[in-house]
Amino acid sequence: MDNSIIKITDLHFSYNGLKVLKGVTHSFEKNTLTAITGPSGKGKSTFLTTLNRLWEDVPGAALQGCVELKIAEKWRDVYASSMDIAALRRMVGMVFQIPNPLPMSIFRNMAFPLKLAGVKEKDQVQAKVQEALERAFLWDEVKDRLHSSALELSGGQQQRLCIARALILEPMVLLFDEPTSSLDYQAAGMIEDLLVSLKESCTVLMVSHYLDQVSRIADSRLELADGKLLLSNISR
Amino acid sequence: MMINRDKTFKTALFICAAASALATLLIFGFLLVFGLPLFKGGQFFLLLGRPWAPGQGMYGFLPMIAGTAAISLLSLVVAFPISLGVSFFLHSLAPAALGKILKRLVQFMTGVPTVIYGFIGVFLLVPLIREMFENGSGMCVLSASLMLGLLISPTMILFFSDGFAAVDKKYIQAARALGATRVQTLLFVVLPNAWRGLMTGLIMALGRAMGDTLIALMIAGNAVNVPSSLLDPARTLTSHIALVSAADYHSMEFKSIFACGVTLYLLNAAAVIAIRRFGAVGKDKAHV
Amino acid sequence: MSEKALKWTDRAVVVFAWSSAIILICALFLLIGSLLKNGWQTLGLDLIFGNAPPLDAILLKRRVFGGLFPAIAGTLLLVVLSVSLAVPIGVCAGVYMSEYASAGLRRILGLCFDILAGVPSIVVGLFGFSGAIILHRIFDGFRPCLAVSAASLAILVLPYLVRTTQTSMQGISPGLRITALALGASKMQNIVYVLLPRSMSGILSGIVLAIGRCAEDTAVIMLTGVVATAGVPGSLFGQYEALPFYIYYISSQYTDQAELMTGYGASIILLCVCLALFLIALGVRKGLSHQVFYRI
Repeated sequence: MDNSIIKITDLHFSYNGLKVLKGVTHSFEKNTLTAITGPSGKGKSTFLTTLNRLWEDVPGAALQGCVELKIAEKWRDVYASSMDIAALRRMVGMVFQIPNPLPMSIFRNMAFPLKLAGVKEKDQVQAKVQEALERAFLWDEVKDRLHSSALELSGGQQQRLCIARALILEPMVLLFDEPTSSLDYQAAGMIEDLLVSLKESCTVLMVSHYLDQVSRIADSRLELADGKLLLSNISR
Repeated sequence: MMINRDKTFKTALFICAAASALATLLIFGFLLVFGLPLFKGGQFFLLLGRPWAPGQGMYGFLPMIAGTAAISLLSLVVAFPISLGVSFFLHSLAPAALGKILKRLVQFMTGVPTVIYGFIGVFLLVPLIREMFENGSGMCVLSASLMLGLLISPTMILFFSDGFAAVDKKYIQAARALGATRVQTLLFVVLPNAWRGLMTGLIMALGRAMGDTLIALMIAGNAVNVPSSLLDPARTLTSHIALVSAADYHSMEFKSIFACGVTLYLLNAAAVIAIRRFGAVGKDKAHV
Repeated sequence: MSEKALKWTDRAVVVFAWSSAIILICALFLLIGSLLKNGWQTLGLDLIFGNAPPLDAILLKRRVFGGLFPAIAGTLLLVVLSVSLAVPIGVCAGVYMSEYASAGLRRILGLCFDILAGVPSIVVGLFGFSGAIILHRIFDGFRPCLAVSAASLAILVLPYLVRTTQTSMQGISPGLRITALALGASKMQNIVYVLLPRSMSGILSGIVLAIGRCAEDTAVIMLTGVVATAGVPGSLFGQYEALPFYIYYISSQYTDQAELMTGYGASIILLCVCLALFLIALGVRKGLSHQVFYRI
């Protein structure tokens, strides 16, 4: 049975004339954690943004090829003109290298994506916020100060908040761009555990610099080199 | 629905931007249309060089051009050295606290109403000039230039300072490491690399001097003739516009103010284009 | 250059810089000092309300003669009108410039705004004046009035509002820019919920400065309907008094010492208004917590 959820065919991507991806073809399986490694500055993060079309906000970038997503058992072209970008980004969440909570309270940060999606009922919002924070192992630490500023949290807490914020939309796919590289090893360890637990509900793609991290948590490793994705083995 | 709202939003914003830009063209259009009779057959250029004698049917505004040129250029002469000195001071010589306060004062000065400069000019500077030179009323090119120099100094200082601050810190570090004093660094490293800021500041200040109405109107005397000395009264293009209150909208006298308006508009547009060519430094920080 | 010559240049520059700074400070304090010295005695309720009881004057029960109240009311109304005209248009135009305009369009529109910012205020006044003439041809009896002044002043401050909005929005870090987008925000939601609140302090300080320009400008209004005596403005289409014009008028037309003193008083009030606005603009830039403006 075909268990894949993302299918990429002959994907080319260039940025200001610089070719970053030169014909990438790959499919990702459901409920797996795939790590993407490779030399820095060669477009690993950019590759992630081709899946949620976030690169389109960057001037000077151009894309060719096909990215498909299996939504409700049907393959849908991500770049079709009928695709609602906002809806796509709710299905394909992203977490960045540097935690980026918005300058508002913890609760408002969590409720923000719901607000964007037009969810208004207070009870529902409350329940979803709590559930997402619990899934991100953050609830116990912040339940007493939901209304204080998110910027007062520690780096690791901020990153878990950002993950929880992405989870609240119940995405099918979660993209992580070096999620631990701005954190100390304790905080990073917590995020790693969290990533593994996320596999139950989502498909996870993660850019990472650390091969030891990859060997600890990833199901497979893809090396981005010379514009191609190569399946590489994981040394355990 | 969401996409529709986005489109409406974007269109609304575009209309605002287009309308604002249109105002720029509309102003020029109005001036042209109202001054039209004067522009027909190249008369405009004749007017530039002719004297003003409504009695004899002559509506040249040479005197006003001369007045504007004399007063604004002189005010630059007054303001430039002071501004250069103050921006030297602010950049590397001032004790930290004093520098901070002075910078704030300079920023505040850009917001002091020009009518107040004019008012103090009338009651403080003009009597002083009158007594010093014992000649005429004291309402003259010199008084207006001094006051105007004070008005435009803050503008110049802020642009100069921005220009100095934009010079790469690496160069300064290198010079200091080679044993250059603060002043030497300023003269041999900062100043030569800040010419853009200097030019921008000069042009902006000139624009402000040419465009100011109240100071010249209140203390330059407003006589319609080409001034021949610092103590002569003069009338600028701006005060000429302010002073004409012709009841008859069809008189040539009335139309001449639009020719003055066109001249001022074009001079300032030229200044703006010149600054854009230079690649302005810190353009948006001019006020605060 | 010899070592000695270098040393002397060094000293000369230091002396030059210090004396420039001292001259500037002295000039400013001479200016303010002479205002205060001559005008401080006039400061008081009489200056503003003349012989009328303040409350009656404010409630418009009694007309004020010999006080600045009508001029202050005129300036206040003028500022409110022109700023509420200019702010929505200017901020929207600034958002467009920063977020939507293509590079080419941004250059063209930017040039327009730069030119508009450089147009002398008397020329903007002349524009308003000619507009009034055209309206006079269409509607009999129309003449320069409060509405014309407000519209002209709005045009005068428009480019500042566009620029401050544009620069403060463009200054937002790319990281913050994509945060909400990655969470499924549309471009408009991103602007309304994240980018605008984030640039609010810059925009606000632009607005405060625009208020200052509207309050101090004399050249625009002297061509578009301000007069020396009109009482408290009663209609948008009537003539009105304003503080800066009053100062100008007194400086050339004062008949006695008392009137001159009122002129000094008016100058002090106007200067204080500008000082207050300046301090507010500084405070807004510095201390504003952006969170105040997030509303969910």
